[in-house]
Amino acid sequence: GVEKIHGVAPSLLSRYVAPASDSAPWSCLDGSKTITWAAVNDDYCDCPDGSDEPGTGACPNSMFYCKNEGHIGSLIPSTRVNDGLCEPECCDGSDERLGVCPNVCHEVGAVYREQQTAERKMRSTGSKIRRLYIASAQKEKQKLESQITAAEAEIADLENDVARMKDLIDRTESLSAAALEHKKQSPLYVSFMEHTEALKSLQREYKKRLAREKALGDILDALRRGYNPNYQDMAVLEAVRGWEALARLPHINDVAKDDGEGEQQVITGDEEYEEEEWTAEELEKELDSLLNSDYEALLLEHEKHIGAPTPSSSLLLDLTAYIPDSLLPHYQAFTDTLMAWLEALGIAQGPASADSPDTSKARQAYTNAENSLNAKKQELQRTQEELTRMFDPEWFGSEGEWKRLQGVCLSKDTGDYTYEVCLFDEARQKPNKGGSIQSLGKFASWNAGGGAAVGSPEYYSKQHYTRGTKCWNGPMRSVTVILTCGLENELLSIAEPEKCEYQFKGTTPALCLPPDAQEDKHDEL
Amino acid sequence: VKTQDFKTCTQAAFCRRGRALSARAQENPSWSSPYSIDPSTISVLPGQASFTAGVKSLLYPDVKFGLDVRVHKDGVVRVRMDEVNGLRKHYDEAASWALIAEPDISPEIKWSVGKSDVRAVYGDKKDIEVVVAFQPLKVTLLRDGKEQVVLNGRGLLHMEHFRTKESAEEKLPVEQPQGDDSQVVMQVNSRAWFEGETEDGYWEEQFGSWTDTKPKGPESLSIDISFPNHGHVYGIPQHATRLSLPTTTGENAFYSEPYRLYNADVFEYLADSTMSLYGSIPVMHAHSAASTVAIFNAVGSETWIDVAHPTPRSTETHWISESGILDVFLMPGSTPADVFGQYTRLTGTPALPAHWALAYHQCRWNYVSSDDVRDVQRRFDLEDMPVDVFWLDIEYAEEHKYFIWDKKYFPDPVDMTRDVEAVGRKMVVIVDPHLKRAASYPVYQEAQERGVLVKSPGGSNDYEGWCWSGSAAWVDGFNPESWDWWTSLFKTAPQGDKWTWTESTVDTYIWNDMNEPSVFNGPEISMPRDNVHYGGWEHRDVHNINGMLFHNMTFQALKARSDPPKRPFVLTRSFYAGSQRFGAMWTGDNLGTWEHMAVGVRMVLANNIGGFSFAGSDVGGFFGNPEPEMLVRWYEVGIFSPFFRAHAHIDTKRREPYLLDEPYKGIIRSLLRLRYSMLPVWYTAFREASVTGLPVLRPHYVAFPHDEAGFALDDQYFVGSSGLLVKPICEKGATETSVYLPDDQVYYDYFNHYAYRGAAKGKHVTVPAELEKVPLLIRGGSIISTRERPRRSSPLMKYDPFTLRVALNAAGEAHGELYLDDGVTFSHQDGQFIWREFVATSDKKARGVRISSRNLAAQKPSEAVDGVALATYDIANSFVKEMLGVRVERVVVFGLASKPNKVQAGGRDLYWEFTPGVTASEKRQGTTSVLVVKDPDLSVTSDWEIVVQT
Repeated sequence: GVEKIHGVAPSLLSRYVAPASDSAPWSCLDGSKTITWAAVNDDYCDCPDGSDEPGTGACPNSMFYCKNEGHIGSLIPSTRVNDGLCEPECCDGSDERLGVCPNVCHEVGAVYREQQTAERKMRSTGSKIRRLYIASAQKEKQKLESQITAAEAEIADLENDVARMKDLIDRTESLSAAALEHKKQSPLYVSFMEHTEALKSLQREYKKRLAREKALGDILDALRRGYNPNYQDMAVLEAVRGWEALARLPHINDVAKDDGEGEQQVITGDEEYEEEEWTAEELEKELDSLLNSDYEALLLEHEKHIGAPTPSSSLLLDLTAYIPDSLLPHYQAFTDTLMAWLEALGIAQGPASADSPDTSKARQAYTNAENSLNAKKQELQRTQEELTRMFDPEWFGSEGEWKRLQGVCLSKDTGDYTYEVCLFDEARQKPNKGGSIQSLGKFASWNAGGGAAVGSPEYYSKQHYTRGTKCWNGPMRSVTVILTCGLENELLSIAEPEKCEYQFKGTTPALCLPPDAQEDKHDEL
Repeated sequence: VKTQDFKTCTQAAFCRRGRALSARAQENPSWSSPYSIDPSTISVLPGQASFTAGVKSLLYPDVKFGLDVRVHKDGVVRVRMDEVNGLRKHYDEAASWALIAEPDISPEIKWSVGKSDVRAVYGDKKDIEVVVAFQPLKVTLLRDGKEQVVLNGRGLLHMEHFRTKESAEEKLPVEQPQGDDSQVVMQVNSRAWFEGETEDGYWEEQFGSWTDTKPKGPESLSIDISFPNHGHVYGIPQHATRLSLPTTTGENAFYSEPYRLYNADVFEYLADSTMSLYGSIPVMHAHSAASTVAIFNAVGSETWIDVAHPTPRSTETHWISESGILDVFLMPGSTPADVFGQYTRLTGTPALPAHWALAYHQCRWNYVSSDDVRDVQRRFDLEDMPVDVFWLDIEYAEEHKYFIWDKKYFPDPVDMTRDVEAVGRKMVVIVDPHLKRAASYPVYQEAQERGVLVKSPGGSNDYEGWCWSGSAAWVDGFNPESWDWWTSLFKTAPQGDKWTWTESTVDTYIWNDMNEPSVFNGPEISMPRDNVHYGGWEHRDVHNINGMLFHNMTFQALKARSDPPKRPFVLTRSFYAGSQRFGAMWTGDNLGTWEHMAVGVRMVLANNIGGFSFAGSDVGGFFGNPEPEMLVRWYEVGIFSPFFRAHAHIDTKRREPYLLDEPYKGIIRSLLRLRYSMLPVWYTAFREASVTGLPVLRPHYVAFPHDEAGFALDDQYFVGSSGLLVKPICEKGATETSVYLPDDQVYYDYFNHYAYRGAAKGKHVTVPAELEKVPLLIRGGSIISTRERPRRSSPLMKYDPFTLRVALNAAGEAHGELYLDDGVTFSHQDGQFIWREFVATSDKKARGVRISSRNLAAQKPSEAVDGVALATYDIANSFVKEMLGVRVERVVVFGLASKPNKVQAGGRDLYWEFTPGVTASEKRQGTTSVLVVKDPDLSVTSDWEIVVQT
């Protein structure tokens, strides 16, 4: 038999007192039943709440208290009492029958205290780094605030500029608009614009196709590398082989067979082009700039060009070449007058009709000014947002302690892949033996749905990165980054407990609260 | 399922021929078997119930067949027929792999040779008779003059003899060169009435993109087996179907395809189909209220079985096999228990498992790292949920090179295993038969050097196929060389320069998967039939046996790992008759649907009928993400399956029970604890199975063979001889269910003690079945032993006390058994065990009940342990000594007639509580009276008596 108070937690000791007389009943703690005092700790469960057996394993639903003198007392479930194992939580060995487990509290307590000291030291050092982060956030705050002031001033100036130019343009354009409209009626221009539209559409479609082809290629690459023969589907194998043939890749398993030789050189075919034809690269680069031409300006250029003498006529008509330099100004003055007359009579077309270059330049300037205004405004907005987020507990913490880590990339090489997370930005998987980088997700939130209060250390112990590249036959990739206090910002381990759902574990000083703030938590076991 | 990956009967030439033969017989009223015995060749072996005879076929007078009929000591009749001096040899070794030994032939039974038949009469009451008729050849087993089993009664026996392609071509019908078109004269094909007009698929066969070269030509075997007086047939696992096999031919046939036995890895198999699955046990029970008989057709090649009921009380079956000899065992019964005894004397009883193997197994494809395994263990412990075994699927192995840890994720496999073992738990790690063809893989290299790999057609090169590891080769278990080598791999200590699994422990156990064998790029996801095994046999000859050999090899390897040996645990997916000797099986890659949950129960029952009790389905369903309600119900199925493992596909969400929300988590914790509390019941049932062959799960026709209303029941069953009747719920939203009670007896609800009354003609009662409640009844007259202290793992329960539930029957009596041993070693074979009987008798004098504990071990030492007939039992053996302090802490009596006035043990007054209620002998239903005797302080090792005076 064991003592009546064996296994009773200190807070409950007052309830385990022998009744005055032997026949007086003892009440189960929940009051549901009375039993004899002799039935307490007699290794038979009488009370529905298990309270009559604090010191044995007879009731499935009670807790056993080990005093652990020399260390810290702890509670274990009754299911571990008298099961033949010495619980690490009960260093005094009181969870088993006498003589089964040695009392190792002295040693355990010493080790524990040593660990506590080390932990505290680490926390203390870590919290200093954390304070640096906070200080840096303060500095950043000042910087941002001054940026905001500066930007606001700049915006005021730019707004003035824009207004001025707008006014100028409005006036000029009302004069030139009619003339320009007339020129745009030219069948050549109309036809040209149609070509442009068609080309734009073609480019749009082409880009769509390119994107689609790339997506398909990625899917097939992923399939090729990741397909699982368990699907036992020869169609998948066919698809892989087909893709390898089309993309001129070696067969993935042949590569694997060669053990260590790595992926063979991808054979790129030299396609044949007709002369003058654009290569795919040129198409990529040049088409955009072509389509971004200012057609109105070109139209005016065109006017100028048509107005100018053709090279053949210049041989005959351009007398300037034969005229001595000294006479040239006079000749020029003469021809100008002549041409003015001819133009007035409708015989010849001038080099520059109406005005347009000026207007278009003005418009260009106006657009530029407006663009810089908008850019500035956006920049301001971003800066303001950054400032708000900096002390938002759902972003960089109420003290801004996480701000320093924004965009800081931590990586871990696991052999086949290097995993990387750029904090508050994106997580990625990079194959070490070549192949495309997969996005594992963008920063979405801190510990969401974990029941942790916003701003609590538990809240900051997890980051979620979601909506990464979709898995073949699976979900979009995502990552949970689990963080603990540590002196370095680093990743310790990478796991994929469910397909395409990754778990990164790492440390950061940003989670190191000063030790005294944690004290209470740590003394419970 | 991709049905196009697997053959139908019409896509297999020999099955097509077999079914066509049967159709011609059906249409021809004057059909008669062409096979007959030549009476002049009959030779009876002196002093033995064995004779041989020459058999001739009218079709091929030049081809000789030999018949060999024997009656074994226990009355089983073995009928063998083979071609004699043929062009080649038919595969005749299937039985040698299935049987534990060559059976003893009866020295007493005498054949009497008559004019038209050979006969033998035997049995205790001389009620059994075997008649082998000469012309046509027909074998009949009779009991009391009634036909029990008839071979070739319908004349479908056909053994295709070996021939050459040329000789066959000569006999093709030839067109006459002259004559007009309307009068094409065919050469008369005198065999067409029997064999058909054309040589259908004799020499080559296509399936999908595969060609079977069939170098040996046609060699199939057809035999009809009829049960003229039995309306139900059971067995021939593995099929996802009902227990009482529905028809495949005849009017209104339930299925159109025959039952197929061809071990196959069927991806997402159907929940109701005759398609073949992972294993094959060609044993069939035929049952009626009057008798049970069974046949075992020892064939290892692909086999199709048609079932028909010409009348509701008779059954005809037709067995069509691709190759092999005729080797059929007729088991005369006459009870299900007799049949189980007869079958397991042939192929062996289920091995007594390690005790921990009956506890809860937690598996997933995959626990991804050492830390993952540790974390899963930590979370089970945090939730105080019991679990005994953690499993690792294929991803532990670097590039799926089994044995070779992927050190990136499992850097410390031995330390990890030790961490699991520290809480009394075990690891099970997968090892499949396909070996990655890689120079860096020592296991493959050694296999190649030793020449123990399966060969491709022609037999000179190692076969290369595709499986998990990519390009792979297969260990050939038929090669005797492979066995010692395989055993050597599992040694945990270094063995000179040989590679051994030093990064393992002796408490690491093994899972053999993909041993059908599964070959991803092979015909029907398996090996080409013309592949060549040791001895020159084609894969087609041995296909269904292949998986069992790999299982057996691993079993032997684990047994040899330590000295003294520990009981091996090896889980297999593929199996054959005899696999029960080597471990456990599960029903493969099931789906997370209610249909699969329900059919899983039936498949496990069918496996029990096939002699292979240690069976279970993946709890939760392998594929899919079951909703919490379904997962809970699946645990309810699992805790009442002999093998209890949760498993999940790699694409599923994690679903370990600690991840669930309440109330589901709490319910599953209680269910796990219920299973653990009942481990004594399961272990005791396994002892019985290991000695008698009686299955652990017993459907109604086994438990109540005379109650016709129970013959088709397959959704409720009894656990061993315990008297526990369970009906798992396999449907959504159930709150109650109808349970069938087969007899005039009281049945007590295990949880709320409600007493239900059965009736002599059988009766249905409604039993509550809310989510947390499995319908579980104790039949009046049973005593159930449990251990009710929850622990983290079952070895930690070793010294925990027992609770006895005494469920009185109408006569105020009850009976139960308890078997215990160390659960780990083979010391029980030396007499180190406890086997007791608890008996409650009605004591008229004291107007009460006496509950006593008696030593069965001392009473029947020779029947205690499988494989050894102990002459005596040492009541002071060291196991008993170790268990002296283990007590019975509580006795609960249901149905007591009135409140006791005294409860005593050995003259000591005991403390007790009584709650009045309905009594065992009343007709009324309602909550029963419950007497709880507190801590009688009686040892589980000793004889004692508790007297309850009322």
